[in-house]
Parts: sequence; structure tokens; C-alpha cells
Amino acid sequence: MTRRDLFHKWLIYALALVPVWLMDAQILPRLPLFGVTPMLLPLAAAAVAVLEGAYAGTGFGLAVGLWWEAAYPGGFGGLVFGLALAGLIMGHLSQYVLRQSFPGYLLCAAGLLCALDGLRVARGLLTHAADLGAMLRVAAPEVLWSLVWSPLVWLLFRAVYRRVGGTRLA
Amino acid sequence: MKDFLRKNGILLLVIALLLSILIGVTSSLLGGNADPLSNVVSTVTAPIRSGVSAVANWAEGVYNYVFRYGQIQEELSDLRAQVAELEDQVRQGQEAIRENEQLRQLLDLQERRRDFVFESARVTERSTVNWESTLTLDKGSSADVEAGDCVITETGVLVGVVSKVGYNWSTVSTVIDTGIEMGGIVSRTYSAGILEGSFDLMSQGKLRLSYLPEGAQLVSGDEVLTSGRGDVYPSGLVVGQVEGVFTDPSGQSRYAVVVPEAQLDNLIEVFVIKDFAIVE
Repeated sequence: MTRRDLFHKWLIYALALVPVWLMDAQILPRLPLFGVTPMLLPLAAAAVAVLEGAYAGTGFGLAVGLWWEAAYPGGFGGLVFGLALAGLIMGHLSQYVLRQSFPGYLLCAAGLLCALDGLRVARGLLTHAADLGAMLRVAAPEVLWSLVWSPLVWLLFRAVYRRVGGTRLA
Repeated sequence: MKDFLRKNGILLLVIALLLSILIGVTSSLLGGNADPLSNVVSTVTAPIRSGVSAVANWAEGVYNYVFRYGQIQEELSDLRAQVAELEDQVRQGQEAIRENEQLRQLLDLQERRRDFVFESARVTERSTVNWESTLTLDKGSSADVEAGDCVITETGVLVGVVSKVGYNWSTVSTVIDTGIEMGGIVSRTYSAGILEGSFDLMSQGKLRLSYLPEGAQLVSGDEVLTSGRGDVYPSGLVVGQVEGVFTDPSGQSRYAVVVPEAQLDNLIEVFVIKDFAIVE
């Protein structure tokens, strides 16, 4: 794979992230289900990590984290490292423990969503923002409603992977 | 370059860690101002977000027209009735103002006057996570909007407070956001409390009026205003109506659940109060 192919490949992945971001930031917040909106960006990071492996997953996780910090309000920097680390771990898991398939992706995505909301709950507890029950009532529906959207994100990135993923020439 | 990603995963992780620290430090140093990266990204993506928002608003309008025509007609009838009622109230209000003025003069009270400096702005984005309730506006530091400015509707109802400012955009924490904390007062009983968002109530689109005085006799429908205590935020802005009064799980204090007057999901244009003065 030449440098041009590599550039082409990651450009396509980046373009695939655009509709996910627009859905996440612009469309779905207008259609909350019982007041809950899903998180789609972690699903995108999980999909690419599972499909492409650990190191590409680290790079894509870094990029998604950077975009999340820059384009969404309330960032504090931790998502860049967090999603890069998650990409590395999910990539390794899919390569050596799970399979590079939808069930493997679903487990990774669920783990990542739980980890993200777990950290938010922990931060909330440390800052005494609310009691555990109140925060779990936010976190649990968010994780579940996000997972409902996981097949759609998986299909999108699997289509990209089939076209330009792995060591295929673009 | 060919195997760059494969061989340098750990390097990427270190880069990610450094970027995280850089963003975290920059954010904390800049306070309410957006860090340069967020500023650039949001400035560049502002037209895209505005465009998508405009298309989504149009689609919502078409949907409402096609599928909710009957409901809209009913609302129109209700609104006409309300307008007639309000016109009557305005007439009564004018009389009350005149009478009030006379009473002020009689009591030799110093008249207070607040000068609001407004900046109109359009809502380009709504909250995207369940942990906070925010709106993004299309005006920022280029229009002299600052963190801490109050945002209201055209009818003077409080929407929220500007929490972050970029060059041509700003983020508003709405009244139901857990980061909001400001003085509130019930207009009927003058019972003061602290208006604050809560995770329990945010998904229902409501907020709390906490630390109510023991003897406060509130009823459903009581109007809640900002108290302006501390002169950080203007006083007298309408926040919402009391839905019910409850006792804290600790049993030590009571709080009221407040339904905001602002329709946070349907806001299109809002007004930022850039400056206000209390002349005593």
C-alpha cells in the first residue's frame, strides 16, 4: 500500500465519520427518546478498532477524541487519550480474544460506553454533583440507547472497510 | 510510512496523552474562553452546523404542517384567546404601573432602572450529551458576547447562561443544566432559594429551586424569577413555574421542582444580555 493509498483510505474513514458526527450532534438531539440521546462517536471508534486492529484503532481513536474535544462543548482533554487507549485495547481484544465481527464489536462498544459513563459517574461522585442513583439513571439509558444505534455505525464502517480497509488498495 | 500505524501504536498513545494534557491545561487556563483548537474547529464548522440546523428546522416545519395541522389550528385558537387575555392584562398592567409609580413617589423610594444591552443570536446546535443541557449560538466574542452573560427569549424568559465563547459562536448552559446555580425568588411569596439543575430532572426538562425557607408556602403555578442576588445576573428574569414542593432525602431542607418557561427544544432565536446596570 503506497502513501497515497494510505491517505486515501483514512480520508474515506474520515468522511464516513462526518455523517455519524452530524447525526450525533445535529439530528438525534432533536429526537430524544424519553429525554435520552445516544453517543455515536465512541461506536465509530470501536468499529474501526475492531475492523482495523490495535494500532490503526489507536490512531483513529486519537482522531475521534480530538474531534470530540474540539467540536463538542465541555471538553477537558481526557477524551483524546481515553479514546486512543480504548482503540488500542479494543483492537487487541478483537485480534486476539474476540473475533473481528459484529458480536465482538458490540462487546467492545458496550465496554467503551460503560467505561465512558463510568468515568463520568465517578467524576460526578468525586465532585458531589449528584448521588449515584441519579447518575446511573442518566448513564444506563444512554448506554442502552447508544447500543441500539451500533448496527448502523457498524454497517457504515464495515462498508468502508470492505472498500479500502486492511491492506487493500484504495 | 507503510507500517507507520502498526509499528508506532505506543507513540500514538503518547501523542494522545500529550494532546490530552495540552487541551486540559489550555482549557483550565482560558477559563470561559474556548481553547484555540475548539475555536478553529467550531469556526470552520459553523456554516455546516448552521446549514444542517436550517435544513432540520425546515423539515420540522414541514412535518408539523403536514402531520400536526389540526393541533396547530387548535393552538392558534388558544393563542388568540391568550392574546385577548394578555391585551386585557396589559391594560390592567398599565394602570398598575401608574399606581405603582405613585406609590414609589409616596414612599420616596429610589427608583431602580436596569439597562440591558442585547445581542440577538440564532441557535445552531442543541445539547448532544445527556450529562449537560447546552445550546450553541452563532454569536461569540466578535459580537462582544462573554462567558456569564444571560440569554433570554424575545419575551424576557431566561434560557440560560453563556458558558463558553469562541470567535463567532458561544455555548449556553440552559437553566436545566447541572452547572447552573443562581439565586431565584418566588414572585408571590418572595421566598428565595437557589436555582440549580439536577441529573434527576434534566431529562424531564425541569430544574430545582433549592434551600427554600422553612415557612415558604408555595403552590403549583407560582412564578419563579431570578433574584439578582450578588448582581452577577440580572434580577426579575422569568425562569418558570413551580410544579411541586418536596423535601430533600436528608429531610433537612425543601426544594421546589420548577418547569422552565422557555421552550428549550424549540428555540430558534434568542437574545444575549451583554450588559446590564443597576442604577440606585
